[in-house]
Amino acid sequence: MLEISHVSKRFRRGAEVFDALTDINFVVHKGDFIAISGPSGSGKSTLLNVIGGLIRPDTGSVVYGGKSIYEQEGRFLNAYRRREVGFVFQQFHLVPFLTVAENIRLGCAQRSDVEAIGRLLGECSLEKVKDKYPSELSVGEKQRAAFIRAIISAPAILLADEPTGNLDPRNSDILMDLIAEFHRNGGTVLLVSHAPVASGHATRKLQLDLGRILTPAGDPGCPALH
Amino acid sequence: MNPFRLVIKELLYRKINSLVILLTVIVASSVSVAVYTLSKASENETRKIMREQGLNLYLFPKGTNLIDFYSVNQTETFPEHYVDVLAESKTFDAVRHLTGVLQMRYPEWRDANGSVHQIVLFGYRDEAEQKYLPRQETMGFDVKKGTVQLGALVARNVGPGEPFVITGADGRSYEFVVDKRLQEGMGMRDQGVSFHLEDLQQLLGMEGRINKIEALGCVCRDGRIKNARSQVQAIFPDLEVTEIKNIADAREHQRSMMNRYGAFIIPLVVLSALLITGLLFHQNVNARKKEIGLLIAMGRSSGAILFMILSKAYILGFAGGVAGFFAGTWIAEYFGKEIFQFTAWSIGPVWTLFYYTLFLFPLLWMVASWIPALLATRIDAAKILNSDA
Repeated sequence: MLEISHVSKRFRRGAEVFDALTDINFVVHKGDFIAISGPSGSGKSTLLNVIGGLIRPDTGSVVYGGKSIYEQEGRFLNAYRRREVGFVFQQFHLVPFLTVAENIRLGCAQRSDVEAIGRLLGECSLEKVKDKYPSELSVGEKQRAAFIRAIISAPAILLADEPTGNLDPRNSDILMDLIAEFHRNGGTVLLVSHAPVASGHATRKLQLDLGRILTPAGDPGCPALH
Repeated sequence: MNPFRLVIKELLYRKINSLVILLTVIVASSVSVAVYTLSKASENETRKIMREQGLNLYLFPKGTNLIDFYSVNQTETFPEHYVDVLAESKTFDAVRHLTGVLQMRYPEWRDANGSVHQIVLFGYRDEAEQKYLPRQETMGFDVKKGTVQLGALVARNVGPGEPFVITGADGRSYEFVVDKRLQEGMGMRDQGVSFHLEDLQQLLGMEGRINKIEALGCVCRDGRIKNARSQVQAIFPDLEVTEIKNIADAREHQRSMMNRYGAFIIPLVVLSALLITGLLFHQNVNARKKEIGLLIAMGRSSGAILFMILSKAYILGFAGGVAGFFAGTWIAEYFGKEIFQFTAWSIGPVWTLFYYTLFLFPLLWMVASWIPALLATRIDAAKILNSDA
């Protein structure tokens, strides 16, 4: 489904050079739930952004559906981000002047997606707050709204970057259950998290350090598989 | 989600930013409209004042001794139809308001008391319409047939309600209704009587003859008087052109002063407002980095991001332009009444300017927001969305 080959990314801050990713290789199969872990600065978020079409790698390729996404026209990359990938961030990033329902609507790739808003609001216990603005919500409600926005257009891949980082244990559990539900319904999940509860749902684990995948011995083809 | 709705909701959410941008448009639009409207009013006022002073170019038969013309009145005449020939000429465009005049001294006019006075008679033809030039408001001396306008000195010798009576060249007595008694201080006209040209020609037995064409040379300092001379020479070599310099200079000075003022103040205000708008939009884009980054992460194209910023500029430019038009017109009307004595009543909305405003201000404000909009499309979504701030 998704093939990441020899991906490297280097950032420069003035004279300082920082290798965020170095020769990353792995394959994501449809239905995988991959938990990505590693210390701060190990390249976890950069890897998610490279897969999500937001950071162009210096070398290597990200192949989705047989096409190297960074070798296609900008229009392809936009469509890839709109239809195939859903993002959940630690900071929620709800648009402050839109209601919950409107924020979710923002994620709709096509008109038919709008019909699912009511059902998903119900499943995530957000029906009562659908007309409220983000400033009127609890953090748990904000993250659930952001989660619905990420999956409203039924993307093939959900990219979640520390989604429980700002949540209390109860809300973390609720969100992880929702992500697990997305996975059970056939979705593919790549989740960056330090939380043990996240690892509990994962079918595979990927550990990064200093921009490299820590490869278990004897498993060069799919290094993070446990 | 409808992108237009997104724009409106953002506009209402960031009220202060939107309001300040709107105010810059209103200021630029109202100042531009007020200055333009006042400059038009000034032109009308100048025209009115100049009308009081008369036209600034005289066409005489060649070789006319002007000392004779003003004092003795023994001047050559020429056919009245010269005026029509000039008015219908394609090449004669350096002057406007062509008016045929017959001006003669009348040495022995006897008033109702039997006293004899030397007066000057003026016969004015209706102003000629120039066939190949746009129509303008009539500026010449307008005397109706069968009536006269009395100069202030002559009027003292004609009782109120009495007709003006004069003996014609044929020895008959002619009576005219007094239409106006002119105020003092009009130079030679103080001691004169103004007729419709045909009336005076009949009175003097000079049918079809005139001895002067009065006209207005619009711009005299840039050589158009030379044009007027050469154009007249090319058609009628037996005529010559004389300029009444003080009137021409006053008119030119007044017009160029307002034009220079408008040409300086309007661009200054509009450019300042555009610069402020550019900075405000830059600030707006900075404040919206996360929203824009999110939209990019959700697959919105650069075109959609540009649309979002530019349509905000369009809406504010349009609303501010319209509000500024009415504010500027009100300012022009309010202050114009203080400034312009004669034409204050004519100051009002310049509707052609309104249509320009509808088009120009949205366009200018979109241009001002163009660079911030381009910067918005280049936002690094990954960096913005992963930052803690």
